[in-house]
Amino acid sequence: MMTFAPLLLVFLPLVAAAVSFALPERLSSWRNAANLGVAFTKLLVVAYLLNATEAGLVFEWRYEFLPDNDLVLRLDKLALLFVTLSVFLWLMTTIYAIAYFDRGPNLSRFFGFFNLCVLAATGVAMSGTAITFFLFYELLTLATWPLVAHKGDDKSLRAGRIYLSYTLAGSVAFLAGILWLQSLVGAIEFAAPPDLTGIPALTLTLIFILCIGGLGVKAAIFPLHGWLPEAMAAPAPVSALLHAVAVVKAGAFGIVRMIYDVYGIGTVADLGLGLPLAALASVTILYGSVRALMQTDLKKRLAYSTVSQVSYIILGASLIGPYAVIGGLVHLVHQGIMKITLFMCAGALANRMGIKAIADLDGAGRLMPVTMAAFSVGALGMIGLPPVAGFISKWYLGIGALQSDAAWVVAVLAGSSLLNAAYFLPLLYRAWLLPPPADRPAIRELATTRDRMLILPAAVTALVSLGAGIFASLPFSPLAWVTLIAEGGYLR
Amino acid sequence: MTADLSLLLPLAVLWPMLLASLSLLPGWGPRMVTLLPLGPLPGLAAAVITPRDTPVALPGILLDGGLELTGTGALFLGGAALLWFWAGVYAAFYLRHDGRPTSFALFWNLVLAGNLGVFIAADIISFYVFFALVSLLAYPLVIHDRKPASMRAGTVYLVLAVLGEVAILVGLMLASYGAGGAIGIEAVRAALALPSTHPAALGLLIAGFGIKAGLMPLHVWLPVAHPAAPVPASAVLSGAIVKAGIFGLVAFLPLGTPALGAGTVLMILAFTGLFLAALLALGQAGAKSVLAYSTVSQMGLVMGVLGYALAQGSAPATLLPALALFTLHHGLAKGALFLGVGLAPTCGRAWRWGLMAVLAVLGLSLAGGPLLAGALVKSALKDPAGALGATLIGLSALTTALAMARYLAVLPRSKPRRRPPVLMALAFLALAGAALWLPWLLYADLADKSPLATDLRAQITDAWPLGLAVLLIAGAAAVGLKPPALPEGDALGPVQRRAAALTVAARAAMRAGSRSLRRSRPKPQTVIAEDLDRVEDIFREGAAAAILLLAVTGAILASVLI
Repeated sequence: MMTFAPLLLVFLPLVAAAVSFALPERLSSWRNAANLGVAFTKLLVVAYLLNATEAGLVFEWRYEFLPDNDLVLRLDKLALLFVTLSVFLWLMTTIYAIAYFDRGPNLSRFFGFFNLCVLAATGVAMSGTAITFFLFYELLTLATWPLVAHKGDDKSLRAGRIYLSYTLAGSVAFLAGILWLQSLVGAIEFAAPPDLTGIPALTLTLIFILCIGGLGVKAAIFPLHGWLPEAMAAPAPVSALLHAVAVVKAGAFGIVRMIYDVYGIGTVADLGLGLPLAALASVTILYGSVRALMQTDLKKRLAYSTVSQVSYIILGASLIGPYAVIGGLVHLVHQGIMKITLFMCAGALANRMGIKAIADLDGAGRLMPVTMAAFSVGALGMIGLPPVAGFISKWYLGIGALQSDAAWVVAVLAGSSLLNAAYFLPLLYRAWLLPPPADRPAIRELATTRDRMLILPAAVTALVSLGAGIFASLPFSPLAWVTLIAEGGYLR
Repeated sequence: MTADLSLLLPLAVLWPMLLASLSLLPGWGPRMVTLLPLGPLPGLAAAVITPRDTPVALPGILLDGGLELTGTGALFLGGAALLWFWAGVYAAFYLRHDGRPTSFALFWNLVLAGNLGVFIAADIISFYVFFALVSLLAYPLVIHDRKPASMRAGTVYLVLAVLGEVAILVGLMLASYGAGGAIGIEAVRAALALPSTHPAALGLLIAGFGIKAGLMPLHVWLPVAHPAAPVPASAVLSGAIVKAGIFGLVAFLPLGTPALGAGTVLMILAFTGLFLAALLALGQAGAKSVLAYSTVSQMGLVMGVLGYALAQGSAPATLLPALALFTLHHGLAKGALFLGVGLAPTCGRAWRWGLMAVLAVLGLSLAGGPLLAGALVKSALKDPAGALGATLIGLSALTTALAMARYLAVLPRSKPRRRPPVLMALAFLALAGAALWLPWLLYADLADKSPLATDLRAQITDAWPLGLAVLLIAGAAAVGLKPPALPEGDALGPVQRRAAALTVAARAAMRAGSRSLRRSRPKPQTVIAEDLDRVEDIFREGAAAAILLLAVTGAILASVLI
C-alpha cells in the first residue's frame, strides 16, 4: 500500500475516463453509476490516507522516466490537502453535473475529459518533482480545454481558444524556468529542496519570475487573469470546478510549492522577492473586486471575485510568516468550498429559471429558497463574515501580515472586505427582498420539475463551509490540517 | 454542581439558535412566533445562578473558543435577557397575525443568540462572531414591514453595520497581534494599553463599537432604524442591542492605564451626543424617533463616563458596577417606553391615563427624578465621572426631561373604547416594574451600601434641572409653543443628498469626458467598465505574445534593478 496509494488515486479516474469514453450516449445511467462509484471510492481511499498521513506515514511512488529525472508521486500533508479538496469537490460536482446535463449531447466526451481533469489535478497535487508537476500541469490544461469549449458555439470556442493561448504561453514560461533551474542544480525534488547557494541572485530572480509568471496565468494574477472571466462561456459544472479547485488552484498550489519547496522561504526572503509578489497579489485582490463590482452578469461577477480571492492564497504564501502561510493555505480549501457553492447555485438558477444577469435575480429567494440560502452562505463567507470559513482565512492572513511587518496588507484585507460586501450584498438584497418579475414560473410549477440532486451538492458545500468555520479547531478541519502542514516545516 | 451550572452559558446561545432553526420547518413560523419568549430563558437563568468568572472551554469551536460570565457581564446579560423575554411575550401577541412569521422568528432568535453571546464570550473570535450575528442579522428586523422608509433605514443600518464590522475586525487583529497572537479578551485588552500595540487599534475599536452604541456623529443610523422595526423589535434594538456596543467598549477599553487622547475624544463626542441628541429628539414627530434619540443621548452619557475613565486611567472596579447598573436601568426603562408606543392606540379612556402615568414615571426615572431608580443609578455614576462629568450628568436631567415630555406629547392617539390586550399590558408593566425595582435590589450588592444610605436630600436638591424642565414644559404648553420639525437621522438627509448629487456630478463629468474621446456611447454610466473591458480584450487577443513579452520585460526589469 505504501507505494501503491498514489498510483491508485491516479488510476481510479483513468478507469472512469475510459468507461465514460467507451460507453455510448444512450447508456447514460451506466456511465453515471461508474462516475459516482469511482468518485465515492476515491473519497474512501482519501479518508484512509488522511488517517495514515496524520500518523506520520508518507506514501511515495517513483519511476525512472528520463535519466536523473524520476517521475515521483508523493503524498505529503500539503499534497493531501489539495487531493482531499479536489476529491471531495469532484464528487459534489459529479452529482451536480449529472443532474445539470440530464440527457444533453456529447456527455460521454464530457465525462471522459472530466475524469482526465481530476486525474491531472490529483497528479499536480501529488507531484514530487518539478518535471512530474509540469507533466500533470500540462495534462490539466489540455483536458480542461474540451470542457471549456463543451457547448461548441462561437462564444465557447473563442473562450477555449483564449484559454489555451494564455495557459500554453504560461506553460512555456514555466517550463523555461524549471529547465533553466535544472540545468544549474539538477533534478528538482520538492521533498529535498535544491541547494541554491552559489547561483547569482540575478539568475535566481529571473528563474523565479519565469516560474511565477507561468504559474500566475492559471492562478489568474493581474494582469494575467484575462482568460478566467472569458471562460465563463463554459457550462456551470465546469466553471464551478475551474474556479474552486481545478485550474486556478493548480496555479496557486504551484506557486506555494515554488516558494516553500523549491526556493525555500529563506532564499525568497534574501532575494527580496516576497514583497513584490505580495504587492502584486494585493493589486489583484483589489482590482478583481473592483472589476467584479462593475459586472452585470452573475457568472462574470463571480469570475472576477475568483480573480480577487485566489490571490489571497498567493498573498499568504508570499508574506512568509507562520500565520500568513496558514491563512493562505487554508484559503485554498475555504475559497474552494465557498466558490463552488456560489457557482453551483448560479448554475442552478440559470438552469431552472434562466437567470443570467444580476438584474434577473429579483425574488429568486422566494422561488428557490434552498439554493439562495446556500448562495447566501457562500457570499457571506467571501465577504469574510463569521462564522463562515472565509473569516478564518482572513483572520490568519491579517495577523500573519502584521507578523511580517506588513500592516498595509491589513488595509488591503479591509478594503477587499468592503468591496466584497458591496458586490455580494446587493445580490442577496435582490434575491431575498425584491418581488420576482411577473414572467417567472410559479412556485408550484417549479416544484413539479424539481431535481434534488441539482440543489443537494450546493447545500452540502454550504454546510461544509459553515462547519469549516464553526469547528475550525477540530482535528481534520482545514485549519487544523494546514496548521499541521505549517508546523511540519513551513514555520522556519 | 458548579460544572453543571456553567453549562447554562453555551445553552444561553445554543437554545435560541435551535429555536431559530425550528422556525425554518415548513409551516412552523407562526408557532415559533408564539414561542418567542422561550428564547432568552437559559440566558436569564445563567445571569442569576451561573458562577461568575468561571471559564467554560469550547474545544474545537472556532479557534478553541470559550465563554465566561464576569460580574459586569452578568448585569448586561440579565438585563438583556429580561428585556428580550418580555419583548418576546409582547411580540407573540403583537405579531400573531403577521405576514412574515418565519422571517421574524428566525432572525429574532438569531439576533438574540448573538446579543447574549456578546456578553459571555471569553475570546475575541467568539465575541466577533456573536457581534456579527447581533449586528448584521438585525437588518431583517429593521426592514420587517418592507415599507419604503424601512428599506431606506435598513440600507443605512447595513452600510454602517458593515463599516463597523470591518473597523472592529481590523482593530481586533491589531490588538491581538499586540498581544502576541493571544485571543483571550483579557489579554487583548491588556495589549491595547501597551505602547507597542499599533495606535490605530484603540481608535478603530472605539469607532466600531461607537457605531453600534450610537456615538455621535456615528449615530445617524440609529434614529432611522430603531423606529422602522416593529414595536417589540424596536424595544430590543434600543434597549438591548445597543448595549452590545457599550459592552464592546467595556470589554476592550484598557481602563486603568491612562489613554489621554482616545479617552478625551471619546468623552467629548459622547457628552456632545448626550445633549445634542436630546435636543434633536425635541424636533421629532414620531414617538419612536424621540425614544431613539433619547437612546443616543443616554448612551452618550455612558460613553462619556467611559471616555473620562479611559483618559484618567481609573481602575475598572471603580466604574463598571455603576455603569452596568445604569445600562440595566436604561435598557429595561427604554424597552418599556417602546412597548408603550404600541400599547397607546389600544388604551381607551381611563386606560390612557394609567398608561400615561406609568410612562411619565419611567420618563422621570430616566431623567433622574428624585427617589426613583434612575436617580440612584445616576448618583452612582457621578463619582467615576469626575467633577465636570458629574455636572454634565446633573444638567442632562433637563434635556432628558424635555425629551420625555416630547415623547408623551407625540404618543399615538388612542382609539376610543378599546382595552389593552392582557399579554401586551403585562409585558409592559413587568418591564416597567423591573426597571424601577431592580436597581434598588442590586444597588446594595454593587455599591456595598444600602440605597437608603445615599443622601436623599442631596438627590432632591440636585434635581433642580428637573424643576426647570417642568417650568419650561408648562410655559411651552401655556403659550402653545411648537418645536421645529426635524427629519429622522438629522445629518443623514443632507449627507445622502450631497452624496447623490456628487455621484450624479461625477457621472456627468465622466460622460462628458468620454464623449469628447469617443462619440455616442450606449450606456454612459458604464464607460469605465467598458474601457477596462476593452483593455482586457486587447490583451486577451494577443495573450500568448503578451505573456511572453511580460515575462521578458519582467526579466529585463529585474536585471536592471539588481
